[in-house]
Amino acid sequence: MDIKNILAVVAGALALLLYSSVYTVDQREKAILFKFREIVNADIKPGLNFRMPFITTVSKFPATVQTLASRPEQFLTGEKKYVTVDFFLKWRIEDVSAFYRSTGGGRIPDAENRLEQLMKDGLRNEFSRRTIQEALSGERGSILQGVESKSKEVAKQLGIEIVDVRVSRIDFPDTVSDSVYNRMRSDRERVAQDFRSRGQEEGAKIEANANRESTIIMAEAYKEAEKIRGEGDAKAAEIYAQAYQQDAEFYSFYRSLSAYRNTIGKNGDVMVLEPTSEFFRYFKQQALQP
Amino acid sequence: MPWNEPGGNQQDPWSGKKRGSGGNDPEELIRKLNEKLGKLFGGSGGNGDNSSQNSSKGIIFLLILFVVGWLLSGFYTVDARQQGLVLRFGAYQATTDAGLHWRLPYPIETVEIVDTEQNRSAQDRNTMLTKDENIVEVAVAAQYKVRNPEDYAFNILNPDFLADQTQGTLYQVMRGVAREVIGRNDMDFILKEGRAQIASDIQNQMQQVLDNYKSGLQIITVNLTYAEAPPQVKEAFDEANKAREDANRYQNEAQTYANKVIPEARGKAARLKAESEAFRQETVSRAEGDASRFMQLVTEYRKAPEVTRERLYLETMETVMAGSRKIVIDSNSNNMLYLPLDQLNGQTSTAAGNTAQAAAAAMQNATDKSNATPTPTDVPATNAEVTRTGREAGVRESR
Repeated sequence: MDIKNILAVVAGALALLLYSSVYTVDQREKAILFKFREIVNADIKPGLNFRMPFITTVSKFPATVQTLASRPEQFLTGEKKYVTVDFFLKWRIEDVSAFYRSTGGGRIPDAENRLEQLMKDGLRNEFSRRTIQEALSGERGSILQGVESKSKEVAKQLGIEIVDVRVSRIDFPDTVSDSVYNRMRSDRERVAQDFRSRGQEEGAKIEANANRESTIIMAEAYKEAEKIRGEGDAKAAEIYAQAYQQDAEFYSFYRSLSAYRNTIGKNGDVMVLEPTSEFFRYFKQQALQP
Repeated sequence: MPWNEPGGNQQDPWSGKKRGSGGNDPEELIRKLNEKLGKLFGGSGGNGDNSSQNSSKGIIFLLILFVVGWLLSGFYTVDARQQGLVLRFGAYQATTDAGLHWRLPYPIETVEIVDTEQNRSAQDRNTMLTKDENIVEVAVAAQYKVRNPEDYAFNILNPDFLADQTQGTLYQVMRGVAREVIGRNDMDFILKEGRAQIASDIQNQMQQVLDNYKSGLQIITVNLTYAEAPPQVKEAFDEANKAREDANRYQNEAQTYANKVIPEARGKAARLKAESEAFRQETVSRAEGDASRFMQLVTEYRKAPEVTRERLYLETMETVMAGSRKIVIDSNSNNMLYLPLDQLNGQTSTAAGNTAQAAAAAMQNATDKSNATPTPTDVPATNAEVTRTGREAGVRESR
């Protein structure tokens, strides 16, 4: 064998050895170094790393936050109503060796199945202790806290850190939704009636007030007007009295004549007269003495 | 997702991605390089003749060319709206801003470019439950950008997977937070005055959650682009809004009525008062007039009472008689007297029932008839025969 060839083979073997003794770990990865399937290092920095060829092997796992999004699940609330709930879980591998050991060699679906089961049990428990309203409003945070604190313990055994649990949707099942719509409809009808009735009430008030005010105005005006008329009458009476006191007997004669004039002799009144009356005194005489 | 597939014990979750590929490009290239170097070593050390010298010179030239080209491939540019992340063997080294940069060439260092200034958006529209257990339809739109490219690139899987929005963390968070905020508020508040408030609540809470994830994302704005009652109950809601308008209308109508009635009453009141003032003035003036007239008459009467009395009496009687139909009966005569009273009454009632003209005609008619009656004492006196005295008697006229 040629020495050159031997050198080439040796160089090639060395290069292969060098190559197989380095490996890279991405910023987004965690790696475990095994020596004959025994974990020797689970805390490997990202970048270029060295290993013993043939003796050690490397497995890599994601270091980023993973998402577990659940399928819609029905839960029973405190008042025995079903709600459809979606939730998602944000988690990441914290202790990669524990993760490897507890999930059948770092199988992510395994881990997610266990986490999902954990969440569902936790949520079922939390929902059963609350009314829908509590679940919907301010209680979301505490639901998640309740679920989180229990599941964190389990997650820790899996080498997992639960970053966040979040209910993304709480809905009624379709049948319940229909009755909700019916209630909303009747509620709006109530509101509409309320608006109309209140409007009519206000309108009636305004009208009644207007009527009251106008009646009062008219009455006040009448009072004032009668007072003024009374003043006129009183003043006139005073004037008349003063004048007629001059000769009461003549006044009565004078006034009587005025009354005759005004009451008789209009509209073709018929007068039945005796020729002996004072008025005919000359009339008769003439008739007797032609 | 690759790691969800069964039997993925050793499967690399990053194998689908170009950048982190563990067993792929860099190592292979290093291997090739090593092989080449090995050959070169062997070649130069082996042959000593000319031809091999020439060929080794050529090889060295090619090698230099290759190295220069390789070094030149380390140049890269970053746009003004981007930032570059330099990774050495997958480990984060530095963040570079806009401009021309150089890195160690390919297998050693790689660069990932992240758009940091570009505004990204996500939206979600669906029915949601409110605090009072009503259902509303709400659309939420968020504008966001990358604030911290390192966090954005390294901390979360799919921070905002743009191709499929629903797979991105940002969308998931928006969806969850929007429902949470809607669930904290009553329907009326959401549909009416609360929209801005709710949008800002969603924004704040989303930011909080994303910060908690160290996502490197920053929410710029959140808008509630739509918030209405769902179509199933829309009609009832419209009806309620209509009712609100009706209520306003009722009030406006009443106010219109009030605006008509009160000024009218004031006007009437003013007229009443003016009339009464006029009455007072008139009454007093008349009284003064009457009194003055009477006083003057009294003065003259006192001078010749008998004559004046007689004159006044006769003048009055004259006027009275002139306007009347007269029947003169001598009470001493024994003749039976027949008065056609019913006829006379009929005449007057007809007159009352008709216009003045008809009354006049009827009167004439009646007079003719009465002429025809055999009543001897019937005086044929008609209005035409009466001559009114030109001078009015000193009698007060009625008002």
